[in-house]
Amino acid sequence: MAESEKSVTQGKVPRRKFLVGGGAALAAGAFAAQIPGSAAQPAAAKASYPSSTGYIVYDSRLCWGCQSCMFNCSVAHYGESNPSLSRIQIIRDAPSFTKYPLDVVMAPCRQCVTPLCVQNCPTGAAHVDTEHGNVRVIDEGKCIGCKRCLQMCPQNPRRTVWNPYKKKSTKCDLCLDTPFWSREGGPGGEPACVTGCPAKALKLVRETPPQEDVAGYDVNLVPPRPKMPSGKTPTPAAKQPAPKS
Amino acid sequence: MSYGYAGKIARVNLSTKEVTTIETARYEEFGGGYGMGAAIFWDLAVAPGEWDLKDAFDPRNVLPIMVGPLAGTGVPGAGRTSVCGISPETFPTCEFWRTNFGGRFGTMMKLAGWDGVVVEGKADQPVWINIINDQVKIESAADLWGRDTWETQGRIANMVGGRVRFGEEWMQLGDTYTTGIPQIVCIGPVGEARSRLAALITGSGVSGRIGGFGAVFGAKNLKAVSVLGSGTVKMADAKALLDARIWQMTGGGLVTGSFAPASAGSGSCHPCLRADRRRNVYHAGETMCVDQHWLANPEEQSLRGAQSAQAASEAELASQALMKYGASGWSAHFLGLFISDIPGAPDFFNKKVPVETGIGWYIRYLYRIGELGPGKRIDSAPLPMEQWGELSFRLAFLDAISKRVGIGDALAEGCMRAAQRWGRLEQDLESGALRFPAWGATGHWTLPSAEWAYNYLLGAGDPSWHGLVTAVGKPRGKTTEEALIELAKKMVPYENDIFMFNYAWKGEEAWKTGLYSPHKAKEVAWSRHYATFWNESMAFCEMFLPNLETISPEIEMKYYTAVTGKKDTFADTMRIGQKTWTLERAIRVMHGRDRKAEVFAPFMYRPGASGMTFWGGVPIYENGKWRHDEAPDMYLDKQGVEDFKTHYYQLEGWDKENGWPTRRTLESYGLKRVADIMAERGKLGS
Repeated sequence: MAESEKSVTQGKVPRRKFLVGGGAALAAGAFAAQIPGSAAQPAAAKASYPSSTGYIVYDSRLCWGCQSCMFNCSVAHYGESNPSLSRIQIIRDAPSFTKYPLDVVMAPCRQCVTPLCVQNCPTGAAHVDTEHGNVRVIDEGKCIGCKRCLQMCPQNPRRTVWNPYKKKSTKCDLCLDTPFWSREGGPGGEPACVTGCPAKALKLVRETPPQEDVAGYDVNLVPPRPKMPSGKTPTPAAKQPAPKS
Repeated sequence: MSYGYAGKIARVNLSTKEVTTIETARYEEFGGGYGMGAAIFWDLAVAPGEWDLKDAFDPRNVLPIMVGPLAGTGVPGAGRTSVCGISPETFPTCEFWRTNFGGRFGTMMKLAGWDGVVVEGKADQPVWINIINDQVKIESAADLWGRDTWETQGRIANMVGGRVRFGEEWMQLGDTYTTGIPQIVCIGPVGEARSRLAALITGSGVSGRIGGFGAVFGAKNLKAVSVLGSGTVKMADAKALLDARIWQMTGGGLVTGSFAPASAGSGSCHPCLRADRRRNVYHAGETMCVDQHWLANPEEQSLRGAQSAQAASEAELASQALMKYGASGWSAHFLGLFISDIPGAPDFFNKKVPVETGIGWYIRYLYRIGELGPGKRIDSAPLPMEQWGELSFRLAFLDAISKRVGIGDALAEGCMRAAQRWGRLEQDLESGALRFPAWGATGHWTLPSAEWAYNYLLGAGDPSWHGLVTAVGKPRGKTTEEALIELAKKMVPYENDIFMFNYAWKGEEAWKTGLYSPHKAKEVAWSRHYATFWNESMAFCEMFLPNLETISPEIEMKYYTAVTGKKDTFADTMRIGQKTWTLERAIRVMHGRDRKAEVFAPFMYRPGASGMTFWGGVPIYENGKWRHDEAPDMYLDKQGVEDFKTHYYQLEGWDKENGWPTRRTLESYGLKRVADIMAERGKLGS
């Protein structure tokens, strides 16, 4: 069993049930068929893809809602800060005042086993990068800005991102192409969102999370408390100075 | 225009309904945030000379709501929003003062393409300001007036978002998309009632609680400002910014806040490396310890200790009520959370001095001595005084204030004005029952943190700045002197004067190197200049930076340089802070401030004035040796304070006779236009 599968939080209530996997593929395929020209998609006929060797999982209860990951993502990729260009979206529900833990929605790309963005791209811009661990990426040079990948993404909110300045789509590449990030990205690397998360609410894993629903990605990332020799769990020591008043 | 700035500031006149634009470049010399706000206030409210600056509710009061160049860039802790103007809270006069708040509003302002919004005039009907990227509109608040702050924000979010399902969909704004939710700062019924206890509320629990600026919104018939942006903030060196973030996270010295990383239910502002907020209590609220003073039933429990389920539930409900009504957790609080044994404290404190007192404490005191109660000289109706400290009392308290019914009308005016109305001002100031160090402004402790007390006096209330409190605390692994020598190196431009950290308060040493010496003037000046630039203008949360024991000021400079690309040194930034502080002084002088007005409340000059300490107290140099001392017996000497003021005014280049800035000083900052106006109105120091 994959590490991420083992650590699925017991009793956690998913914020919303998402339509994913085969059912979503069928639904999206039906939608795609209504789009003029979609029948000619070269990628649409492809039945399966090699799985990505890297996935970003998260713990929505640990997330502070600080959106550091969103800023880091846009800065690392574009050298500018723009959360709307971030390939990971964190929605903090203030001012809707939804109760914890449903007040934060974490929306990183799932690197889907069946990537509908890839499957439905008419030009092959959205593709599986077999040279870099099968990460699902979009080649901006091939993107014609048809927005089909935006429409096909089965997640809410969608994980494919529109760049209005270039009139092209983008998506998470696990920081394979980050000219403003000093560290190495990719499936075995350090994506800017994960490394820059102060809450340690994001994690890069190699095993494919369960695809059925959101719980496969929204996992328990709370580190286990160290055990005392007696076997008792100690009370966490105060690591910080006394709080400022 | 340097990187980091949006380049424009919205100017909204509620009287004329005009929306115009100010070029940010015109004010860039003041850094951003509060610095720009103070300069705009001078230009729009002071320089024209059409107003005596006395009444905070006058439509001519100008409220710059400003953010700094680091907001919206991903620099942690730097997304705060500053608001300044004439404050209705201070007493006996409405002073020029400021507040700031965290949350997400400041970041969103930058992403919408604005460095701030300046509010002038008064609407003839309730309105709210709707900012969506470049569009700024004045909207009717007819359906919002009377509603609480949560309901107000929810309704505005729905109005702005239309049928968008936030959290599930991207919202299209022109060519762009965002998953962001409108960020709204608003007032509740307490602000609408123009209560001087009113705060500005954003989100479920973030507040600008100093200064009573919520009442100024109320006086302007302004219910809320909403902003939604989907734009870009450019920076000079993106890679350096990300490197600095990682360096701060991993290089040591990061104080991560009250809640450790990987702790479920923590929360933070936008974006931060500290987790001082909470998602899992107070109904997704974001409360800090100051609000806890309002929450805790001070006589029966400590919020940090074990609580019964009922007490926790009541605390949450009390917190919600405070935020929904839009009251300042600071001004309305009942008793400080921390209580210290202080020799000489008045009997009514039982020798245990609360860190701070507020109107809740004061009415209980009057109740106990038989002055206030049902049918008493001060009639407490409609408050159920026998339930003081209970949730039911606090709800009744908020309701009475927001409706100004019965005793609520006096309470809405704050402690000092209520005491004046009841004919008790002089005696309760004298006894210390009104434990407000200066300007009638509620706030934190002062002594033994003398720089805190002096900043309180030289400003217009609580500076709410902890930057040196921890830094001068008892060191680990080194002697006090060794630690202070290291700290003194960072005090640019007053570096290497170890005696600025001497808190000796009595005897010859107090005048020679301690509280009343030129050395202490340097410490106070440094703290004010740092706070003015880095915390108020660059908008770093003061809970986040400085961290003088470790990474300050290096980390501040890394972020500043990476974003703005400016070649300033740290000394240059401190000079900008001093310039803004001097401009702030000029505004106060035009308002009537002088040396005579700058005196503490009587209790500060008597035993019992001291209070809470952390980290082993303050360093004291006496008889040739340094030691740490919690100094519970500290109090101030009247002549000593006068001597301190002389040293301080001279250090700042102000006239030592009246505390007014001189032409030479103002012109050294390029503020000739300010000097000319002050001279014209007979307010220039010599």
